[in-house]
Amino acid sequence: MERIFGIDLGTTNSLIAYADEDEALRVVPDPETGSPLLPSVVSFVSAHEVIVGARAKEMAAHQPLATVASVKRFMGLGMEHVTAADREQHAFAADGGIVRFQIHDRTYTPPEISAFILKELKRRVAVVLGEEVCKVVITVPAYFNDSQRQATRDAGRLAGLEVMRLVNEPTAASLAYGLHKKNQGLIAVYDLGGGTFDISILKLHEGIFEVLATNGDTRLGGDDMDRRIAGLLLERLPAESRRHPDVISQAVAAAETAKIRLTDAESTVMELRAGSAHVQCPLTRTEFETLVADIVERTVGPCRQALKDASLNSGDLEEVVLVGGSTRMPLVRRRVEELFGRKPHTELNPEEVVALGAAVQASVLSGRDKDTLLLDVVPLSLGIETMGGVMERILERNTTIPVTARQVFTTFVDNQTAVDFHVLQGERELAADNRSLARFKLRGIEPLPAGMPRIEVTFMIDANGILNVTARDERTGRERSIDVKPSYGLTDEEVEHMLEESIDHAEEDVSARLLIEARNDGEGLLHATRKTLANVAPDGDERARIEAAMAQLETAMQGTDYNRIRDLTDELNRVTTPLAQRIMDASIKEALERKRVEDVV
Amino acid sequence: MALSVASAAEQEGATWPAGERLNCWNCGAEPAPGLFCPACNALQPLPERADYFQILELPRRLVIDPELLQKHYYELHRCLHPDLYQTGPQAARQASLRNTAALNRAYRSLRDPVDRGLYWLTLQGESLGTDNKRVPPDLAAVVFEVQEQLEELRAVRDRNGAVQALVDQIAGARGELLERQNDWLRQLEANFERWDAGGDTTALTRELKAILSALAYLGTLLRDVEKELGA
Repeated sequence: MERIFGIDLGTTNSLIAYADEDEALRVVPDPETGSPLLPSVVSFVSAHEVIVGARAKEMAAHQPLATVASVKRFMGLGMEHVTAADREQHAFAADGGIVRFQIHDRTYTPPEISAFILKELKRRVAVVLGEEVCKVVITVPAYFNDSQRQATRDAGRLAGLEVMRLVNEPTAASLAYGLHKKNQGLIAVYDLGGGTFDISILKLHEGIFEVLATNGDTRLGGDDMDRRIAGLLLERLPAESRRHPDVISQAVAAAETAKIRLTDAESTVMELRAGSAHVQCPLTRTEFETLVADIVERTVGPCRQALKDASLNSGDLEEVVLVGGSTRMPLVRRRVEELFGRKPHTELNPEEVVALGAAVQASVLSGRDKDTLLLDVVPLSLGIETMGGVMERILERNTTIPVTARQVFTTFVDNQTAVDFHVLQGERELAADNRSLARFKLRGIEPLPAGMPRIEVTFMIDANGILNVTARDERTGRERSIDVKPSYGLTDEEVEHMLEESIDHAEEDVSARLLIEARNDGEGLLHATRKTLANVAPDGDERARIEAAMAQLETAMQGTDYNRIRDLTDELNRVTTPLAQRIMDASIKEALERKRVEDVV
Repeated sequence: MALSVASAAEQEGATWPAGERLNCWNCGAEPAPGLFCPACNALQPLPERADYFQILELPRRLVIDPELLQKHYYELHRCLHPDLYQTGPQAARQASLRNTAALNRAYRSLRDPVDRGLYWLTLQGESLGTDNKRVPPDLAAVVFEVQEQLEELRAVRDRNGAVQALVDQIAGARGELLERQNDWLRQLEANFERWDAGGDTTALTRELKAILSALAYLGTLLRDVEKELGA
C-alpha cells in the first residue's frame, strides 16, 4: 500500500511525519542535523539558488529582502491586506491582486514560496527513508478561509504532491493525543502557533471526532510577540538604523531567542549590533508578560465565542489540549487554565503534535486506520453579495462538512444570457466587511423574458473546507458552465502554468547551479596557482605549460559551458601537480628541519 | 450497521421515492433500496428527493429521541464518509461526497426542534412566509418593552452615559424572554406529538406556523439582546 505522509506546513516550522507498519507515529528528521523541525524560511541566495530551513534562517540577517519567513501569514491574501510592518520586512511587487514578493529579478506568490518548503520536506523523506513522497495530508489552521486553503493546496501541487486532504490543525492535534482511546468526552484544543491562533471544541464518541465549533485568528501568534519585543531593542538604536530590514530582522531574531529563554529563565539580556551601535536590553519574564499580555488576551474572545457556538460552558469540557510553540509560554498556560478551569494537557511536544496528527489522518485515508473518523466544520459563514451590498448567508459557520447549499438565480432583463454573482466568507452584515472569495459568471443561459430562467447553483464545501460551485438549468436539467475568478488566489490555469514553468526552469536551474559551481572551483584553483607562481619559480617549460592552462581556463570561464570549465580546471590541476608536490616536499622538509633544531635546543 | 437500520425504517414506511434511482454505477444491477448495491456492494448516490427522515433512516415522526438520532448519524458516517472512499473509484467518491453532504444537512435540520418544525412545514408544501414578520399577539407587550429598552441603551451609549441600570433591566427582561421561549418550545413538542398521533393536518399546520412564528420572533429579539449585553 502506498504510504500517505502527514505535513504540518507551519508559520515558523514545518514537519513531515508518517505512521509506520505498527501504527507508531514518526517525524522524519533532517538527515544532516537530525532536527525534526524545518524552519519555514526560504532564502534566494541568487536568482538560481534557493535554500530552505535553518541555513535560510541565518541568511535572513544578511539578505532580509531575499529571504521569506512566515510566508503562511500571506497565504490566500491580497496586496490590500499587507501591513506597514510587513513592508518593513519584505519587498512586494507593485501591482494589486494576490500578494507577490519581489525577489531578485522576479516575483513569487506565497504558494510558490511554500512549495520550496514542501520540496525540502520531500527531500528529507527521500534521503532518510529512501522513499518518494507522492500523496500527503497537509494541515491548515482551522480558521483558514477558502482562499487560504486553496493557496495551501496549490502549494502542494506546485511541489509535485497529491494533496489527499487538508486537515485542521487543532483537530489533527487531538488525533495525535490518542484521545480517541477515550470512549467519549468534550475537549477544547487551544492552538497558538507562530502566526495563527485556533480554538476548536470537539465531541468524542467511540473514535468519531466531531468538531462542534471552531474560531480563531489567522494573523495572531508568537511572531506578533517577537515584533513587539524587537521594538524594545530598536528604540534604543539611532533613528536612521532602525528602519533597515537587516537590523529589524536581527532584532526580531534576538526577541524570539529572549522569548524562548524566558519560558524557563526569570530574566535574560537581549543584544543587537547595528553598524557601530551595540545595544543591550535586559528583560525579565514579568516585564515580558506585561508587554505581550494584550496579544495573549486576544485569544480569549474566540474561545468564548467557540464555547457559545457549541452551546457549552467552560465547565462542560473534560480535557484541554495545548498545541503550538507559543503555548510553551507560562503566561499562555496560566491564562488557558484560568479560562477553562482545568489544567491543560502538555504531554506531547506542542511543535510536533500537529504533524503526528496529520499522519494519523493519512493512515485513515489510506484505509489502515478504520476506527478513527473526523467530522470537521466550516469555520466561517458563506454568503452571496446581494443588491445593496449586504451579504446573504447561504451556509452558517460551524456547519459539518462536506455540506451543500443551493440557490436559484434568474435574470433581470429580457434575453439576458449571463448572470454574475460574488461569493463571500465571514460573519459581518455588509459584503464589504467580509472576505471576497471569488466572482462567478453563469453563462449560456437561454434568452428568455426576465425572471424566467431558473439556474440552480450548488455550493459544495468539501471535506477540505474548500468551495466547489456547480450550476444547472432547473428546467432542462442541463449543467451550465461557470467561470471562476478567485479574488486572492491562483486559477487552475495559473497553477498549471507555474508547474510547467518550474519543470522548464528545473533544467535551467540545475545548469545554472552547475555553472556557478564550476566557475567557483576554477576561480579557486586560478587564485591558488597565481599565488604559488608569485612565490616559487618553476623552470621555463613548466611555467609556460601552467600559464597556457591558466589562460585557457580563464577564457572558458567567460562562457557558460560548465563541462569545459570542469575539464580545463582538471587540466590545470594536472599540470600544477608536480609543482605542488615539490612545494609540499620542501615545506615538509623545512618543518622537519625546524623540528630537529627545536629538538636540539 | 446502517443497513439494518434501513430495514427498520422501511418497516415504518420510510421507503425511497420511486423511479428516482439509477442502475448501479459499478455493476449495472437494477436499482434497489438501501445505500449499497445488493449485487456488488458499491456505494450508490442517495436519491435526490430523499427526505431528511429517509436519509437518517428514521421513521417519519416529529418526536425524535436525540440519542437515537445521533446514533444513526454516526453509524451512517461510518459507512458514507469521504475518508473511507479516498482511494476508491471516482463514482464512489462522488456518491460519498454527495451522500455525506445530504446526511450533514439532514442531521443539522432534524437535530434542532425549530429547524425540524420548519422542515416539516416545507414537507407539507407550506412555509412561514411573511408570518414571522408580524408580532405574535401575546408577545406584543413584552417585545415592545424590550425593544424600547434596547433603543434607549443604544442612545445612552452614544452619549457615553451611565448604562448599568439599563443593562440590568435588559438582563432581567432576557430572563423573561427565555422563559417565554421555553413555553413555546413546550408547545412545539406538544404539536409534534399530535402530528405523530395523526391529528387534523390543517389545524396542526396552522398551529405549527403560529408557534414557529413566535419562536422566530423571540429568536431574533434574543439575538439583539445578547448582542447589546455583550457589547
